[in-house]
Amino acid sequence: MTRRTSRAGRLGLGAAVAALLAFTLFPVYWMVSSAFDPAAGRRGSDVLPSGITFDHFGHVLDEGDFSRYLANSALVGLGTVLLSGALALFAAVAVARFRFRLRTKVLVMILMVQMVPLEALVIPLFLQMRDLRLLNSLIGLTVVYLAFSLPFAVWTLRGFVAAVPQEVEEAAYLDGCGWWRMFRSVLLPLVAPGLVATSIFAFITAWNEFVFAFVFMQDDARYTAAVGLHRFFGQYGTDWGAVMAGSTLITLPVLVFFVLVQRRLAGGLAAGAIR
Amino acid sequence: MTADPGARARPARPPRASGAARRSAWGRALRPWLLLAPALLVLAVLLFWPLVRVLLVSFQDYGLRQINTGENNWTGLDNYRDLLGDSFLWTRVLPNTVLFAFACVALTLVLGTLVALLLTRLGRTWRVICSTAIMSAWAMPAVTGTYVWIWIFDPLDGVVSGGLDGLGLIEPRETNWFTERWSFYAIATLNVVHHGFPFVAVTLYAALLTIPRELPEAALCDGAGPWQRFRLITVPAIRPAFTVVTLLSIIWDVKVFAQIYLMPGGAGANEDVLNLGVWSYIQSFSRNEYGTGSAIAVLLTLLLLAVTVVYVRTLAREGDEP
Repeated sequence: MTRRTSRAGRLGLGAAVAALLAFTLFPVYWMVSSAFDPAAGRRGSDVLPSGITFDHFGHVLDEGDFSRYLANSALVGLGTVLLSGALALFAAVAVARFRFRLRTKVLVMILMVQMVPLEALVIPLFLQMRDLRLLNSLIGLTVVYLAFSLPFAVWTLRGFVAAVPQEVEEAAYLDGCGWWRMFRSVLLPLVAPGLVATSIFAFITAWNEFVFAFVFMQDDARYTAAVGLHRFFGQYGTDWGAVMAGSTLITLPVLVFFVLVQRRLAGGLAAGAIR
Repeated sequence: MTADPGARARPARPPRASGAARRSAWGRALRPWLLLAPALLVLAVLLFWPLVRVLLVSFQDYGLRQINTGENNWTGLDNYRDLLGDSFLWTRVLPNTVLFAFACVALTLVLGTLVALLLTRLGRTWRVICSTAIMSAWAMPAVTGTYVWIWIFDPLDGVVSGGLDGLGLIEPRETNWFTERWSFYAIATLNVVHHGFPFVAVTLYAALLTIPRELPEAALCDGAGPWQRFRLITVPAIRPAFTVVTLLSIIWDVKVFAQIYLMPGGAGANEDVLNLGVWSYIQSFSRNEYGTGSAIAVLLTLLLLAVTVVYVRTLAREGDEP
């Protein structure tokens, strides 16, 4: 399309690209540059930081206990990814490969459940976790996040499983594979891109989630990073350099993740959303 | 369904019709349910039962005492009567929730569509640069994104007030955008749109890629103008994806929590800026009125249920299963 673009058109495109880059990148730039700025709190509208320092990072990691919070978040995220990947794949195979009574009802139910506003479930889940004595536990939080990421994962993976031609499976049976063997060596590699997409979604759901971690985790040794940042914010008033350093630490893993897998992610999400 | 030995022995025949398949019917009928069982169990315990329970609690005067003893204290529809009879709901919370969601959804969709169209017109290098930038906006978690926007608009040392002060436009210490309802929500809208449009852009871009290259060229040969090509080729190609992202955006933006709660005054100090989600949280966990909080949560759920029905119907109409 670009080859026929006129001079004015090229100028318009350039302006649009510049505006897009400014809008998307400015908050990231401001966060990172404030995190390194030794005088972040008095920065005002200076475009460049007044210097480079790692003090804010050192401060949040040591006194702010942020390394512990990040580790908690990573543990919860990893647990969510593994559990939701396994459960969702089994469920997706069931709804994509088998015709059984109630199949449509199960599908509609999974779709409906995806629409339940989780924010409305804070109170009952708080009561439930309290009854089960799982309030201050990373396992309790993992299980809750598993429930949140599961419907989307089932719905997305279902598209990927359905896209694997039936003939490929039948060929595996002809070669003498049993169902389990076929699942492991044929279906699993073929739906791997879908698993990547749903894993990222699950991890990010868990890593970014705020309100449930905020309500469930009352012992500050069990805070996740998002909640730890909130406490930090209140405790030190507006020490913006420190808050931005904490924000950078939370954002960085997700950012690297997104940029690295962006092509696969786009394909995976689109497949889930369109199918 | 193809897992039985009969199907393997006679691959030419449709497996469902084979005799051996019928013999192992029990195993076949059980297998999908075995595969589904763990997922359904998790959903039942952690989504269905809580959904029932929030409804049960919303019919009670549920306070600290009930939390500690676990006993019930039924008051029927009292919570709902109080809520719906309170002008606070109608003049503050509901407008905050609905208008804010509407503004966010509209801006997210417009920006997302424009960016998707922009991506198709770029060469490879610039497309990679732009999509990486989009990813960075998407990747920023809601919590940290909110803090960054608060910092940007900080009334004392933020970049915006600093810049406007430098231009002589405002008196920095007298302007606090977080105290006033409209400017508070303007900043929240900026935050939510910045975080939300990448999903729309990426999804619609993927849909745009499904248009065969020959189609616009053929239309061009037939003398179709740019507007006609957009209306007749682009719009039908992205419509299914567009429907989905619209409804998902509505659902996400109606129940926004962290982006409001974490803003200065958003955690209950400024009653003017409460939305349904934050109000429910504050009634429950700050004031220990879990019954009222649950009733607000049920109202939020009902609001979204209406959207969900549209969502499912639309998907069904797009010719998708079920």
